[in-house]
Order: sequence, then C-alpha cells, then structure tokens
Amino acid sequence: MLCAPWFANDNDMTSPRLTTSRQPLRLLQDRVATGLITAGGVGVLLAILAIGIFLVWETLPLLAIGDALALTTLTPLAWGTLKAALSALLFAIPVALGAAIYSALFMSARLRSRIKPTLEMMEAIPGVVVGFIAGLILAPWVERHLASALVVMIWLPLSAGLAGFCWHLAKTRLRRRLPLCWAGLWLVPWLAFMVTVALWLTPWIEQHWLGGDLRQLLYQRFGMDYATRNALIVGIAMGFAVIPSIYSLAEDALADVPKTLIEGAQALGASRWQALWKVALTAAGPGIFSAVMIGAGRAVGETMIVLMASGNTALLSANPFEGMRSMSASIAIELPEAAPGTQTYHLLILAALVLFIFTFLVNTLAEVVRHRLRRRYRQLGSMS
Amino acid sequence: MTGVPADTAPSRRRLHWLDGLWPWLCAASVALSLLMLGALLTLLLVRGLGHFWPATLEEVTLRSGETFAGQAVREVALPQQPGDERLYFTGNRDIESVRWRWVAIDDIAMQAQPMDLIRLERSPWDDFIGRLVAIEQHDQRWEGDAAWQQLTSLLALPVSQRPDSQLLLITASGQAVQQPLANVVSAQAPNAMTWRQKTLAWSQSVWRFLSEGPRAANTGGGVWPAIFGTVLMVILMSVIVTPFGVLAAIYLNEIAHQGRLTRFVRIGVRNLAGVPSIVYGVFGLGVFVYGIGGSLDEWFFSETLPSPTFGTGGLLWASLTLALLTLPVVIVATEEGLARIPEAQREGAVALGATRLEMLTRIVLPMAAPAMLTGMILAIARAAGEVAPLMLVGVAKLAPQMPVDGEFPYLHLERKFMHLGYHLFDTAFHGDDVQAAIPLVYATALLLVLIVLVLNLTAIFLRHYLRRQRGSEC
Repeated sequence: MLCAPWFANDNDMTSPRLTTSRQPLRLLQDRVATGLITAGGVGVLLAILAIGIFLVWETLPLLAIGDALALTTLTPLAWGTLKAALSALLFAIPVALGAAIYSALFMSARLRSRIKPTLEMMEAIPGVVVGFIAGLILAPWVERHLASALVVMIWLPLSAGLAGFCWHLAKTRLRRRLPLCWAGLWLVPWLAFMVTVALWLTPWIEQHWLGGDLRQLLYQRFGMDYATRNALIVGIAMGFAVIPSIYSLAEDALADVPKTLIEGAQALGASRWQALWKVALTAAGPGIFSAVMIGAGRAVGETMIVLMASGNTALLSANPFEGMRSMSASIAIELPEAAPGTQTYHLLILAALVLFIFTFLVNTLAEVVRHRLRRRYRQLGSMS
Repeated sequence: MTGVPADTAPSRRRLHWLDGLWPWLCAASVALSLLMLGALLTLLLVRGLGHFWPATLEEVTLRSGETFAGQAVREVALPQQPGDERLYFTGNRDIESVRWRWVAIDDIAMQAQPMDLIRLERSPWDDFIGRLVAIEQHDQRWEGDAAWQQLTSLLALPVSQRPDSQLLLITASGQAVQQPLANVVSAQAPNAMTWRQKTLAWSQSVWRFLSEGPRAANTGGGVWPAIFGTVLMVILMSVIVTPFGVLAAIYLNEIAHQGRLTRFVRIGVRNLAGVPSIVYGVFGLGVFVYGIGGSLDEWFFSETLPSPTFGTGGLLWASLTLALLTLPVVIVATEEGLARIPEAQREGAVALGATRLEMLTRIVLPMAAPAMLTGMILAIARAAGEVAPLMLVGVAKLAPQMPVDGEFPYLHLERKFMHLGYHLFDTAFHGDDVQAAIPLVYATALLLVLIVLVLNLTAIFLRHYLRRQRGSEC
C-alpha cells in the first residue's frame, strides 16, 4: 500500500544536498530494517500461533489410548465449568445489562463519565482477591445465614421497585432534588439501608415461615445437601468479576444506537418502555449478544475464583448448594504434580485445549457480530 | 386521545406500569455494582489497615476462677442455645499450646484492661501476651517500671548491638517464663498507649509489614520478598513484551499488506486477550519449562542432573509466560495508537524524501509513544494480578533465596520467587492456622489491589491526557 511509488523513484527525488555515497546506505538500512520488522512481527505472530499447535500436539497421544477414559475423567470437570459459568452469568447478566441500559439511556452525562471508568475498574481487581473474600469470608457467613442471603437477593429488586414507587408519590421538589438521572448514585445508600433492614428482619421470617432452620428444611423437604463453598458463592464472586466486561461492551453498543431512532419511536407514540424494548434493544441486540459471549468466555476460563470458592469436588449434581470442580481449577491443582508424558498430563492438556478452543470461538463470534453491528450503525447514521 | 380504540386500553395501562418500574430496576443494578465494589474496597481497607493498630488487651476472669489475657477478635451466636460467644487471641503458643480461645460471654465473671499487660512479638514463636516482671543482664536486674523502660531502650538498638539479656515474664494465669531478648522483635503495652503513640506504632508496623520477610509459617511478619519477586518478575516481563509487542504492531499496521489475512490475524490477536490465563500457564509449563528448560539442562547443566536447573519453574519462565499472556494487550494498544496517526503525516514525510525507516523512527513512533506506554502499563496491571499461570511456571510459597543477590551473575533467572498474589492464596488456603493468617491476608490483598488500581488509573489518566493533547494538535 505504502511502498511501490516512492521506493522506485527514490533516485530521481534525490535532493542536491545529499551526497550520492550516503544514498545506498540509507536504502540498505531501510531494507534491513523492514526485513527485521517483518521477521520480528511474523515471529511474534507465529509464537502466538504456537500455543494452539502445542496444545493439539500434546493431546495427540490420547488418540492412541481411546476416548472412553478421557470422557469419564473430563465429564465432571466440564459439568463443573458449565455450572460455575452458568451461575455466574445468571447473576451477572441481569445486573450488567440493567446497569448498561441505565447508564446509556438515563444517566446524566457528567455522572456517566465518572461511573463508567469506576465500573470498568472492577475488572482490574485480581481474581485471587475476589476468591479470598468469597471463599474465606462470604462462604462461612452464607453458611451460617443462608436464609438472610436468599432474602436479600429477593428483597433487593423489590426495594428498587419500592424506591420508584415512593419517588412517584413524592412531592415535585423532592423529585427535583433526587432526579432519576442521578439515581445510580443516590440509590446506593438506599440499597445499603434496605440490606440492613432485610438482615434485621430475616431471623423473624425464618422463625415463622421457614421452620427455624432453612438448611434443615432444604435437606428434609428436597434432600439437598449444603456445602460451605458452593455454586451460589461462585456465582456471586465470579458474577462480580464478569459484570464489568459485559457492562462495558453492552453499554458501548447501547450508547451507539443513533438517538434519532429512539426519538423517532417516541415521536410516533411509543412509550419509553416500548422504545427501549422494540427499538434500542433490537438495534443493539448483536452488541449485547457479543457482550454476553465475552462474559461467558471469561467465566469459563476464570481460575482463581473457582479454585478458592468452589470446594473443588468433582460432582455431577445440579444442586446450587453443592460444590464443583472446573477444568481450569483442575489444571492449576494437578498439572504441577503430573509428570510429562503420563496420561494425566495429556488429559489436563486436553482440558486446556478445550478451554482454548471454546474461548477462541466465542470471542471470534463476538468480534464478528460486533463488526457487523458497527457497519449497520454507520448505515443508520448516514440515513438520518 | 379519543381516537384510541377501547380494546387497547388495558395493555396500555400495563405498559405504563412497566414504564415506571424498569428504569428503577436498571438504576438499582448500577447502585448494586457500586455498592459491591465499595463494600469490597472498604472491607479490605478497614481489615487490612486495622490489623496493624495496637489492639486493646483484656484480662478475663471466668466463673470457674480461671484467668487469661488476650485480644477480643469477634463474637458469634452460640450454636443451639441463646447467647453469644467471643473469640480471644491469647498468644503464648509455646506455653499453652493453643493461641485461640472461644469463651461464652455468660461465663465471664470479670474483664479488665490493666495498663501493665504487654504484647511481645517474637521471632521463632508467635506473640506473647502477659506481664513483664524483670530483665536480667549479666549481673544487673531491673524490675517493674524500670524493666519496661530498659526493654524499650534495648529494642531501640539495632539487633547486632543488643546485649545478652533474659526477660522474666509471667502470663495472666500466673505461669512464669524466661525469654531471651534475642528472640524478641518488638514490645507493646497497648493499654497504656496514648493515641499518638498508637499512631506511631501503627505506622511502624505497616512499615515492617512492607519491609520484612515472613515469619512463623507465613502467619506473621511482612511480605517484602513477595513484593520484590512481583516487581522483578513484572519488570522482566515488560522488558520482554514491549519491544516484541511494538514490533508486531508496527508490522501489522505499517508493513503488512492490508488484506483479508491481516484482518484475520488482527481478530485472532484480539481474541487471544480473552483466552484464559491458565492456558498460557499450560503452554509455559509444556514448552518453556519442560521443552526449552529441559534441553538447556541436558546441554549445559548435565552434571547436576537429575535435579533440574532450568527444567523447573523459575523467574525466567514465569516472565516469559506472562509476556506471552500480555502480548495481545500491548499489540492492540499500540495498533490503536498507530491507527490514530493521520495518514497525511506519513505521506508528508515520504514526500519530503524520507525512507520508510526514517518515517517510522522520526514521525510515527514518537507520535505513537504514548499509546505504547499505555499498552505497557495495562500489560503490567494485568500481569501483576495474575496468579493462575504462575502456579504452573515457578512461583514458590517460601523462596529460600532471593532472585537477586551478591553472587555472580547477581540476577538468578532460574530461581523460584515469591509473588504477592500466590502468597495471598497460599497463606489463606494452605496455612496451618488460617485464623491467625487472615489479618495478614487482608493486608496483602489490600496491597495487591492498590498496586493494580494505581497502575490502571495511571493508564487511564495517561490516555485521557494524551488524547486531549492530541485533540488540540489536530
């Protein structure tokens, strides 16, 4: 693209000040440097490619053994990975998408320029710290106060609705003082207060409606065991880690929806709900899909949080109060002890290959979808 | 509105009701995220920094007549019966063989906070809580208040100049103990301290935490080797990753033919940033440690085989693995910077007779330098918090030697090293007394989060500042 014309005509363009003896040296330098950069660049790209090749190469010996063994060993691990990822996404998707919708469509511009980097900062918190809090602080607390934890989970969305209801009843002056476009901030103390209320009321609820001990009830009525470190804890902790990546991408997609579309829909008589549901979400749908995909990729591959908060028991159970063992955690625990060349070693590398392929495919899909979306926005933008 | 047909009225009302509700649910999810983030950071700050505050010591007499001294830690409801129980840290593991004690609050007959209770930090054993009776040094002997003053003046001396002394101590239950001064690290009488003294003591113990090595199987002491290992590994990594990442980005953006293949490569590189870190760890273990390291051992270190030199995890392999892990970050950031440089700048340089090398080194690279810097900082921030791949390629729970010392060749790339994140994981999950380690784990977690957040903030501000500058230029 850049090369041909000036390269070929260089001699004709020689300025009179340059002696002709320096000219070939410059050209040589340039050729050598271009060659070096090309070699370096291609080398780096090949090194990246080598990851895939290495993983495939090291799993080839498994073909000789037969796949029955691989299947029985990997099934519980794959199940554990899926269970952990699903429970994280169950928590993360509603919160992240809600936050994205709010900050793209409602939040005041000044608040948004502060809140977005703050929430993206959540992503930077190391997994090992989140895992420590989840495994050693949250898990024992939830074990002792299971009913409180569940009540808080149900109570939080209700209290948000309650806040909205009170706001609609309130006087205009108060409404102006606490506008909806700043609600993301002033709801924080409200929610904190509501959590306190829920914690204070729960022993009473548990005594009257749940027979005094929820864990006992779960065991007797449904035969559900309870492990200290379980899918619920992993879901909360990993959800916390996944929220920022989903939020960030979904918010970008929603904020890029041409404003004219939403305004047009509202001008035609749609309510805000209809404008959001039928227009904004439909237009940004692919972007939101790719955000969720990226989040899923991250949840599947996360190691430290699952390792520290899941109990690492290879179980095939759908019970949300039991632990699991994921592929990534298995690799981290077992691979340092497995001697190279043994069956375990190859099996663990197969697990790594599965993770690699899965995340690579999911990310590629997300990337392609996002490219398409960007093109569509450009068309929509040019139409208006 | 009279034109609205009657049959749509109910659905409109339902929609109206939803219209009022859903913005609040969305707003609440922003608030919930902020609340969780705030709660996490506050918890880390309070517990991480609070651990160093000199805690009040209590002398507790039980109904059974037994007396002990300790620091109240927390209270929990008694299982199966009304009332609470309280956990005390009593120390004195060499004397009483336990250092934690659960006491039902109803069993406490009397509790007091006498001024003369002291807390000694000791090096082979952990803390002593009790009273100081006397200090004996050769033939001299100090008792009472004079003994305490003598002890503080002795501890103010550097370790090598402290004379041989014996402390005569007595626990709250009345057991007498002799303690050589050489094993005492520090002494406090927290009940007698004023606010200023406490603040001073607090800052001293924060400093000791940052500057000393771990003691008592990682449940006490500091994290200096872990900080050092983390920083050294990250520096090595950025020295490796920056040139290669920039090289690859320049190749992709400036030299390669911009066709379909380049676009695929670009998407591939971008996606590698989403591949789980543990996969990179597996690659590092298989290729760097067993492959390259094993061959190096056979060629150069065959006399020490079968004990491996480079064929086991070490500093070099860890840095290389993390360099590979952060390569996509650097490439993507640098490419963004390169793409933002106006094509006119390049064409202008070429039109004035510059070769491609001159155009790159004099025009393009200086303009893209901020983007490279941002990429490097983001890479460092990602690498500093990453633990999973390190568990495979060379991190150690307690490294006997630092990777840098006075012996030739000074920097020992094959040695194992300590890392803040792994130190946190190991102390929290594999220690023999997790209860005692948790305050230190909080402090370590706080340190790690602070490092990573500061690095990320630097990258954000740098990018913001440079974008604004660039904006005024164009």
